[in-house]
Amino acid sequence: MSGLLLALPVALPLLAAGTILALPGPRWLRRVVAVGAHVAVAAVGAVLLARTLGGDVVSLSVGAWPGGVSIVLAADALSALLVLVTGGLVAVCLPFAAATGDDRHRMFLPLVLTLTTGVYGAYLTADLFNLFVFIEVMLAPSYALVILGGGRERVAAGRIYLTVSLLASTAFLVGVGLVYGLTGTVNLGALAGAAAQSPAVAVAAGVVLVAMAVKAGVVPLHTWLPRVYPHTTPAVTALFSGLLTKVGVYVILRVYAVVYAGDATYRWLLVGLAAATMLVGAVGSLGERTFRAILVFGMVSHIGYMIVGPALFTDLALAAAVFYFVHHVLVKAGLLMCAGAVELTYGTGELHRLGGLVSRAPLLALVFMVGGMSLSGLPPLSGFVAKLTVIRAAVVDQQWLLAVVAALAGLFTVAAMVKIWNNVFWGHDGVGGWDDLGAPVVAAARVRPALLAPAVVLVACSVVFGLGAYPLLTAAQAAAAGLVEPAAYISAVMSP
Amino acid sequence: MTAAIAAGVLVAAGVYLLLQRGLIRVILGFVLLGHAANVVIVAAGGMRLRDAPLLSGAGTDRMADPLPQAFVLTAIVITFGLTVYLLAIARAGGDDDPPEESSDEEDPR
Amino acid sequence: MILVVALVGMGVLALAVPALSPRFGRDTGYVLAVGFLLLGVVLTPAVVDAVASRPVEFSVPWIPSLGIAVTLRLDGLAALFAVLVVGVGALIMAYCPRYLHGDHHVRTYMLLTLFAGAMLGLVLAADLVLLFVFWELTAISSFFLIGGTGPHSAAPAKRALLVTAGGGVGLLVAVVLIIVATGTSDLDTIVAHPELISDSGFAVPVAVLVALAAFTKSAQLPFHSWLPGAMVAITPVSAYLHAATMVKAGIYLLMRFSPVFADAAAWQGSLTAVGLSTAVVAAALALRQNDLKALLAYSTVSQLGLLVAVTGVGTPVALSAATVHTFAHALFKATLFMLVGIIDREAGSRDIRELGGLRRVMPVTATLTALAAMSLAGVPPTIGFVSKETIFQGLAEADFAPWAGGVSAGLGVAASALTFAYAIRIFRGAFAGPTIQRQLYEPAWQFLAPAAVAAVAGLVLGPGVSWLEPLEKSAVAAMEAGVATPDLALWHGWSLELALSLVTFTIGLGLLLVRRRVLAVLWRLPAPETGVYFDRGYDAVEAAGRALGRPHRSGAVAAFAVWPLLALAGLGIAALVGAGGLPGPAPGTSRAYDWVVLVLLVAATAAVVRTGRALVAVAALGVVGMLVTVWFVLSGATDVAITLLLVEALTAVVAVLVLRGMPARFRPTPARRRAPAAVLAGVLGVLTAAATLAFTGWRDRSPLGDYFLSRAPQDTGGRDVVNTILVDYRALDTLGEATVLGVMALALLMLRAVATTGATGPGGPDAAGGQPGDTAGADDTAGAGGGRPVSGGAGRPAGRMLFHVMDMLLAPAMLALSAYLFLRGHYAPGGGFIAALVAGGAVAFGWFARGRAGGPVPVLRALRARPLVAAGLLTSVAVGLAPALVGEPFLTPLHATVAGVPLTTSLLFDLGVYLIVLGLLVAAVSRLGTAGLHSPDVRARRVVLRHLRESR
Repeated sequence: MSGLLLALPVALPLLAAGTILALPGPRWLRRVVAVGAHVAVAAVGAVLLARTLGGDVVSLSVGAWPGGVSIVLAADALSALLVLVTGGLVAVCLPFAAATGDDRHRMFLPLVLTLTTGVYGAYLTADLFNLFVFIEVMLAPSYALVILGGGRERVAAGRIYLTVSLLASTAFLVGVGLVYGLTGTVNLGALAGAAAQSPAVAVAAGVVLVAMAVKAGVVPLHTWLPRVYPHTTPAVTALFSGLLTKVGVYVILRVYAVVYAGDATYRWLLVGLAAATMLVGAVGSLGERTFRAILVFGMVSHIGYMIVGPALFTDLALAAAVFYFVHHVLVKAGLLMCAGAVELTYGTGELHRLGGLVSRAPLLALVFMVGGMSLSGLPPLSGFVAKLTVIRAAVVDQQWLLAVVAALAGLFTVAAMVKIWNNVFWGHDGVGGWDDLGAPVVAAARVRPALLAPAVVLVACSVVFGLGAYPLLTAAQAAAAGLVEPAAYISAVMSP
Repeated sequence: MTAAIAAGVLVAAGVYLLLQRGLIRVILGFVLLGHAANVVIVAAGGMRLRDAPLLSGAGTDRMADPLPQAFVLTAIVITFGLTVYLLAIARAGGDDDPPEESSDEEDPR
Repeated sequence: MILVVALVGMGVLALAVPALSPRFGRDTGYVLAVGFLLLGVVLTPAVVDAVASRPVEFSVPWIPSLGIAVTLRLDGLAALFAVLVVGVGALIMAYCPRYLHGDHHVRTYMLLTLFAGAMLGLVLAADLVLLFVFWELTAISSFFLIGGTGPHSAAPAKRALLVTAGGGVGLLVAVVLIIVATGTSDLDTIVAHPELISDSGFAVPVAVLVALAAFTKSAQLPFHSWLPGAMVAITPVSAYLHAATMVKAGIYLLMRFSPVFADAAAWQGSLTAVGLSTAVVAAALALRQNDLKALLAYSTVSQLGLLVAVTGVGTPVALSAATVHTFAHALFKATLFMLVGIIDREAGSRDIRELGGLRRVMPVTATLTALAAMSLAGVPPTIGFVSKETIFQGLAEADFAPWAGGVSAGLGVAASALTFAYAIRIFRGAFAGPTIQRQLYEPAWQFLAPAAVAAVAGLVLGPGVSWLEPLEKSAVAAMEAGVATPDLALWHGWSLELALSLVTFTIGLGLLLVRRRVLAVLWRLPAPETGVYFDRGYDAVEAAGRALGRPHRSGAVAAFAVWPLLALAGLGIAALVGAGGLPGPAPGTSRAYDWVVLVLLVAATAAVVRTGRALVAVAALGVVGMLVTVWFVLSGATDVAITLLLVEALTAVVAVLVLRGMPARFRPTPARRRAPAAVLAGVLGVLTAAATLAFTGWRDRSPLGDYFLSRAPQDTGGRDVVNTILVDYRALDTLGEATVLGVMALALLMLRAVATTGATGPGGPDAAGGQPGDTAGADDTAGAGGGRPVSGGAGRPAGRMLFHVMDMLLAPAMLALSAYLFLRGHYAPGGGFIAALVAGGAVAFGWFARGRAGGPVPVLRALRARPLVAAGLLTSVAVGLAPALVGEPFLTPLHATVAGVPLTTSLLFDLGVYLIVLGLLVAAVSRLGTAGLHSPDVRARRVVLRHLRESR
């Protein structure tokens, strides 16, 4: 039974994708199928989380071959939690895509469904090569979605995205090949601690980590991210921010925990990268000039907070990273939806063209206000708990640099949010802006509730996880425990 | 030895093309890098045993490790799909490097 | 419990505002004032207990795993501030209705009430984290109260928020340091055991950060600039937040931590120094203001300076001075703000130069202002006099250095003298002199009442200061238990402080006499424009961010690809250095004929790199592919070789299709980019070779390999081990791989829309970045870019003819071959993918021949990409899930014998793959194959090209 549970997150979205492609049916039906699939997967994730919260690990040998031979799917608290959160996020993002009209294209839903298949697979697989395959399954649809809607700027950004991603994927593949060359296996369980014992394996797996650092947007490998994401359609940006970069972070967490056994030899490097990422991302976002670009560049900074987890590799630090992970998936997507709503309603996301929306779109303003506060780590929202825990983890380890940078980056994020707020919601009231063809947008335009509802849901989650941080933090701590002490995971993978 | 050199040459060529202007050459670069990756993986199986893993009565002790070959097959197929798509993008007008992002020229606020 | 009620009550009030507003309009303020008073009543018993040093406490866990709790506690100190928050709050709320115009003030009222709640929470919080939460909430509500008042208020609001938030960051780190040092976030435990911090080694950073937080919040030098800026807010806000309560949060924090640090001379010294310098400088700046509100703002900064100073001195007297003056200042400063607001409303100005003689038309207002100004100036018999004298007394006790007492007292006097002077200037500026606006009259009593209450209270509490004693004593006790504080009295004999007061008045009057010269001097003083330094800093950071972003705006792919490459190079070099050299080649890994292939491979690769002609490059690439194929054959990878062969062929075909009409020559790469590219390429090539050399070929065949070779037949019934791995052992990989191909097919189907519809695609014109006709534009550049276009391929009739023949003859044969390859897949090289590629070839011929599906085989005519992909996906997944029905795991192959023929679900699974791959090929040829012949964008290109040729 648990076997089927592990297969469903991979099988259901694919099945849904095939169904939607096959059915001529009305659009609403296709939407229901797509959302339904993710709700179901989220439910599966919840069940898995319930089973793994105590430290157990559910695993499945695909094809029922003996352990070590076949591909193994395994879920510990971390994987289960991420499956749950991802399913929930997509289930909220799809209605937004419906509202923005992104899913008007016949291929949109199937592409999203295959993309999430890859994400779920990446979260669940315990096989390095299979991980490569699932990451490709995730990336392939993104290559199409990134230029959804067309337009020159978008295709130009798409080229960059494709090139960098393909480069990362190739590196990943070579890395896996080298690991196999050294160890004769790609099974994460069999590879446990290999990199800690043999520097050669550490280098080979390092190639994999570099590739994932590119996907995650770790400074200085982040440059593509602020260049590409702002040009995708709003719904796509929200999806990407919640799924793609996060898989990069997850793989770094998992591989570093299992294959490197959290080897402290490379701590200085990870600490430096985390600090640089936090700072560069925050300062860079302050330099941007459009609603979405500010948010996107900010993502880099928040990735840095998550890298603090593997950098310190303590229970607290990893719990903080996981908590931050979940918080950021939800809040950032919500804020990007706000940005999208503004762009679609008022025709532009450029700060100097916008103004006075606080009176014209009060609910939007409220949602952004709460989300922005949460992103800046202001109390009493999820972002605050996340930042507090990260800083605390840094201080406990006497990593002053990380503590100070984390605090400072938070301040710069506040500044970036204020920049958006002052320009978009305060400032000169009057025209909403001009669309890209230079035609003035009707100032009376109202933000459609359908555009706003998903963001409301996501930001509400942030409030819940702020005031009621305990449950999520408990799950995060269970996940962290599984990373610090991966014995259960390893044995479950070795003998599924 | 030979595998190493082959991989090295292919990577060098691929990377160089990757850094050239125009998507077509970038695509050529990726095809070469794909070859390189496959060579590395097959080499990872060990180049001492080189009989094709086709079971036909005869003993298996001189047969090459089949697993890397399976990996390579998967990789080749994926690379093929992506290459076709990249070429289509190049056709769709994504070939040459576009100018700098326009937003930079706008008046600061 | 009472505390929770009070706190929640504030929240309820805030939430009630939207409900009240429609009914009461601006008079909602009165309702809220009553609400505040009721909450005050609710709190009274708790305050009484606290004053009787029986602190009231409430606690529930918040984040137990981090040991963070929601703990509220009302002790003497908290009581003092709570009284101010609720009392002044009620006055302000009662003041609002007459001050505000119009009826729509939901936001203002809500935010004011929320702020009151946050401020109350701040003083009640007995858990450090909770305290920080409310600390930030006050800053946030202040931000929205300042900025909500018009286009010009956004910048000051930003300044106020970022400066205080900067301090907040400090406080956050301090809080974490304390928690880590003491293991608790419970304020009382921490205050009760100062040694926990002082012995932890964190004492200094904690002290510095706490002080920093307090200085920013209470607008001490050099952070003061945000407070005058905040005066753009409406007067009630200025009176409540930026005079009476929020700015006192810094003082409150210092008082709270006084027990921990009071004994440290450095703490005393820095607080006293910063406080007194702020007091003097700000007082001087206040004196030179003409805008009454700005004057009051600087006055507030100055008074806060005095409070910081006495808190720093930390002796019982000093602390009692701090408490009393906190109270006194709240009273008279709130009054003054309210009165200035009234003057502003009535006279339409708050500029001394435009006002004058209002005492004749507004006698009551004048009287009240006089009372409050006296209290500000410290003139008896007001409470201000008492508090000022206690301050002198306290400052004189400063002992962090032998000279400290004298200097401190002296500076205190200086600040007070200036205060005396500007207090008088306030009154004279508005009320003395000839009456300019004779038509004015006294405002309605409701408008004056709140100010009157506060002013009179300030007067009455002078003689009746002893009534404050319980509050003052319990507050001091909360800071320093069991010490005797002097009794408060308006008159306590001939004493030093009395003398100092007299000195103060004399100097003050002196300043008044020579005011013209003084003002002339002050106006000439170079004092920075409010916030100029902050703005510079902010702009610097923003510019830095812009710079960080600049490289990311390039359109060149290489600019982005270079970073991962550099990272990999770095990793490799580090590894080489770390390993200190390379091992020799692993034994037996190369054979003679390898070298032949290698040489040819190098040559072909070089050709790909060096040629400038697109077609040549593609051809050379094909050769490279063939050579790699050969290499695979020599390595025993037969399936791989066959697959690669077909893939290369199809890739070449697609490439040629795409290249038609594109420039025949590559656009030259800028020379400055070529050399670095070559170097990086070389380095990575060497590193790859090194890695392959060092990491491969050193071990025997992996146990996994042995397992597959030995078990494949009985496990799967297959003899082509590689194929069994693909469809049986690692079917999940194959499922993923097939999915990728299916996705690429969908992507190709979408691409047409993307490329040609441009901005009118999904998302609408507003969402998309570009305009319609993008592709045409792109084609122009393509055509103009590099001379003669590639011709040939399927473009020419001859080529078409050829394809027709091949189509007629080959297509059927290929389909048959495809079927055969598919079926034997399990036993010999072949299988779904290879078979599908062959069938794809047949499809392709049909397209090239007549630009549409067709040919002699009717099946081909029916083939469409989407249904194929859909069918393929569904088949594979269904086959994967089927075992679940019989309780087997995902993708478990099931074997059955139907009518003597052994069947395995693996074959069905492979069929799914077959369909998907075929779908991709159909999509590819239908999109790319026809594009050259039929799509409008290409016709457009044709025109452009003919035009070009003619122009030559």
